[in-house]
Amino acid sequence: MSDRKFGESDHEPLKGDDVLKQAIAEWRDELPTRDLWSGIQSRIDTQPKTTARGITLTLPQLAMAATLLIAVASGLTWMVAHPPVATSNEQVIQAYGNPEEETQGTIVQANFADAQFNAAVDDLEKILREERDRLDPRTVLIIERNLKAIDAAINEARMALNDDPANPYLNSHLADARRRKLDLLRTATTLASAGGD
Amino acid sequence: MPVDDVVLATQGDTAAFERVYRAHMPRIFNLARRMAGPDAAEELTQDVFVRAWQKLSLFRGESSFATWLHRLAVNVIIERFRTLGTQRERFLADSEAVLDVAPAVRTKHMDLSMDLQAAIEQLPDGARTVFVLHDVEGYRHEEIGDILGVSPGTSKSQLHRARQTLRALLMKKVES
Repeated sequence: MSDRKFGESDHEPLKGDDVLKQAIAEWRDELPTRDLWSGIQSRIDTQPKTTARGITLTLPQLAMAATLLIAVASGLTWMVAHPPVATSNEQVIQAYGNPEEETQGTIVQANFADAQFNAAVDDLEKILREERDRLDPRTVLIIERNLKAIDAAINEARMALNDDPANPYLNSHLADARRRKLDLLRTATTLASAGGD
Repeated sequence: MPVDDVVLATQGDTAAFERVYRAHMPRIFNLARRMAGPDAAEELTQDVFVRAWQKLSLFRGESSFATWLHRLAVNVIIERFRTLGTQRERFLADSEAVLDVAPAVRTKHMDLSMDLQAAIEQLPDGARTVFVLHDVEGYRHEEIGDILGVSPGTSKSQLHRARQTLRALLMKKVES
């Protein structure tokens, strides 16, 4: 749509006293006689959206994805229900060994790395705060939303670990979430340093 | 219109999309009313927003969201004309004949805008589209040509004939 003002036609401009120009000027806006949103909502709830990459899954692909999801979920459930049993040697290390000398065979507690993780996150968040003006506001919004989601996952994992500190799944989940947070922060700061997206 | 709502809607947030709808509905509804007439406007408005929901992720922010949505709306409305036109065979092909025999508006004179609404409904879809897009919505002939798949010259010719017909119909009402 051009920026041409009303009546400034590029073909036979309408004259000021033209009855047609007057009629257009008087052609007022109206509103629908009913609320149209409910009809729209019912249709968008049942229709798939086009993704940016135009990905659509066929029925066999969906079935395969569902099978994979079930397999992964079953594996995780089994791991939580059957934590690995340490050997007697490892049990001695865990109970009596010096943690500074021996880590093999012991369960690595998540809070061992808290200080390094927090320091890295603090550094990256500081850079991001300083550089965020160089990013598109929509990119910032998406990054912030993702960070919030990851923070929520980290908090949940930490709370669960308070009750079950040796749970390997929860430890792995926490490590994963932390890695994702660091990756996202690194990506964001790289984008910002490069002058935006 | 906060850009955040468009972004949120792109991520699947229907509440944000409802806010987008509320902000843009009046303009889209009136575009549909002027291009397709009041009877079809409500359904077309719904079609436009359903299409917008499906295509939101393709909005790249290269133009304003309002401009993107407006162009999408024009395409949806023209598609509807073409679907009907296939049955009636009169989108652009034989519009001249219809213009030549357009009957006088039979409604009682109330004001020019009412007369224009009635008069414009006498136009064939193609001529009405060119007139609304050019004289009301501010599109250029080159843009209209792109949208309709015709040359700018055809658009100019359609506009000329649409204006002549509308003027004649309006003058009849004014004189009566």
